[in-house]
Amino acid sequence: MTALIKAVGLKKTFPISEGTLSKPTDFVHAVDGVSFEINRSETLGLVGESGCGKTTLGRMVICLLDPTEGKVIFDGIDLVSLSEKQLRKIRNRFQIIFQDPYSSLNPRFTVERLIGEAMLIHKKASKEDLSDRVAFQLERVGLSADYMKRYPHEFSGGQRQRIGIARALALEPEFIVCDEPVSALDVSIQAQIINLLQDLQSELNISLLFISHDLNIVGHLSQNIAVMYLGRIVETAPAKKLRENPAHPYTQALLSANPVPKPGGKSKRKVLVGDVPSPLNPPKGCRFHTRCPDVMDHCLRQSPSSVKISENHWVECHLYD
Amino acid sequence: MKPLLNISNLNISFQSEAGTVHPVRGVDLKVNEGETVALVGESGCGKSVTALSVLQLLPTPPARFDSGSIQFLDKDLFKLSEPEMQRMRGNDIGMVFQEPMTSLNPILTIGDQIAETILLHNNISQKQTKEKVLDILDKVAIPSPEKRIDQYPHELSGGMKQRVMIAMAISCNPKLLIADEPTTALDVTIQAQILELLENLQKETGMAILLITHNLGIVAEHANKVAVMYAGKIVEESATEYLFEAPAHPYTRGLLNSLPNFSSGNRLNPIPGTVPDPTNLPNGCAFQSRCSDALPHCGEREPSFLKLDQFEEGRRAACFIYESVESVKL
Repeated sequence: MTALIKAVGLKKTFPISEGTLSKPTDFVHAVDGVSFEINRSETLGLVGESGCGKTTLGRMVICLLDPTEGKVIFDGIDLVSLSEKQLRKIRNRFQIIFQDPYSSLNPRFTVERLIGEAMLIHKKASKEDLSDRVAFQLERVGLSADYMKRYPHEFSGGQRQRIGIARALALEPEFIVCDEPVSALDVSIQAQIINLLQDLQSELNISLLFISHDLNIVGHLSQNIAVMYLGRIVETAPAKKLRENPAHPYTQALLSANPVPKPGGKSKRKVLVGDVPSPLNPPKGCRFHTRCPDVMDHCLRQSPSSVKISENHWVECHLYD
Repeated sequence: MKPLLNISNLNISFQSEAGTVHPVRGVDLKVNEGETVALVGESGCGKSVTALSVLQLLPTPPARFDSGSIQFLDKDLFKLSEPEMQRMRGNDIGMVFQEPMTSLNPILTIGDQIAETILLHNNISQKQTKEKVLDILDKVAIPSPEKRIDQYPHELSGGMKQRVMIAMAISCNPKLLIADEPTTALDVTIQAQILELLENLQKETGMAILLITHNLGIVAEHANKVAVMYAGKIVEESATEYLFEAPAHPYTRGLLNSLPNFSSGNRLNPIPGTVPDPTNLPNGCAFQSRCSDALPHCGEREPSFLKLDQFEEGRRAACFIYESVESVKL
């Protein structure tokens, strides 16, 4: 089976300069050589802490940001090599749901225009049948079609996120990047949105890249999980394997730091020391060596390469060389 | 045993353009010495307002204390004058705020900010104060305190800032620490560090902690007792282990069923609907419109807070299904 979407050696650096016109003095290595694949109607969960490059990666995958290096192959097409015009034609096949339902909807547009605009551009609807099509999308995400003429401020956070989902679905995409779609929501609403996403995915056979910092959510939704640390994917595995046999010391620490809502469930905790280093100047050798409980001498000098330790289970750590 | 903090029948309202809002409606809560009590609930349920009212940090107006009392040891906090209250804040009751990024003063060094509390409550020299600050920075595990003491908040990471907040809060050995979502703005690995730090400090000093959070995982691991809040009321109170084993109130049950679980992957069973508009609460129980066990009379009057000692000592819930309790099996 060939993957629907494939990232190959993606890198992104952002220049930093002292003044607006001066030459860049330094570079932030937000994403530093990342590869992964997602099959049709599967979910890849991407976890990591703030600033590790999850969002940058998510945006590169659907060409909202140009990678500094590397390729994105969507259904056999190299997206990075496409011209603006060619890209626009294919954009309807992949969409994104943003993190913040408060800032990702234009406050001056009605719901009809928010959802319908892209349909008109991509000729998925004509002016005549637009409101019917929008009504269909709204009902699909559990909102009443009467909401069409309202503005974003009239809705709660959960409802806005439903509008964001309806907008992403409007073009019938095959692949959606979900960038922390529930982290701004309360627990009870969060569960509603997670169920909605799962239902829609199985109904429409969409592939998802689900970005989150919450291991419980990622583990609940995904077939495969990739763990990111300072711009690199340090471990990829099927969800069950990752839970039962986390290989990378960082994954182990993340799992053990995850509070379990069950009294007495607190296991012996691997509490990491220190903070995440700055991506401006990532540590030499293995990026995790400053906080790693299992650090060895050569971790400081040599960066580990990806090793396959079992079927579909890859890890970047010198322990497995 | 006399509780350290005793909030009884607290009612607070806010005047706003949209009408009068009642963020806290008859809250009863006790915190005993040395224990950790968690106050959980979703955003807007009134947990932070309750916490802020203990230290009387709510601006009045728009806030108004309609009725109730807050006792700390033998003092009624509402009857204290402002200077008397000032002596309590930071000295007897410490507070850690949610956002370490915005709660520190950006133009003062962290040493000065910690020293301020100490100087205010103790009659000691500058030199002694500095020693004390270094001592506290060391206690909250900030590496190289001699260097950090002269740094400004922007030079520290989020986790370090939260450690500074904790250092300020514990600088005068308070008997009660109110921690309002102390780790919400932090990453999980840093969250684990901070919670471990709080637990160690508690062991060392014996202070009580009122932990306000929306994260049920943190509650399960750190609290002795839990109070669940919904729309300004405490709907259930129980020892932590029993709450997770057999939640009594339908809202608590709904919350627990809404949690995604890494290991199961079963379909979630969320609470339908949304929290009612605080300016326009329904008659009767505020949860009725979302409740799977709603009875016909839930919309007529509000359920009172019932003692459910027949199940577990100290368990209480505000729900009509327990009024005819013989028919209910937990």
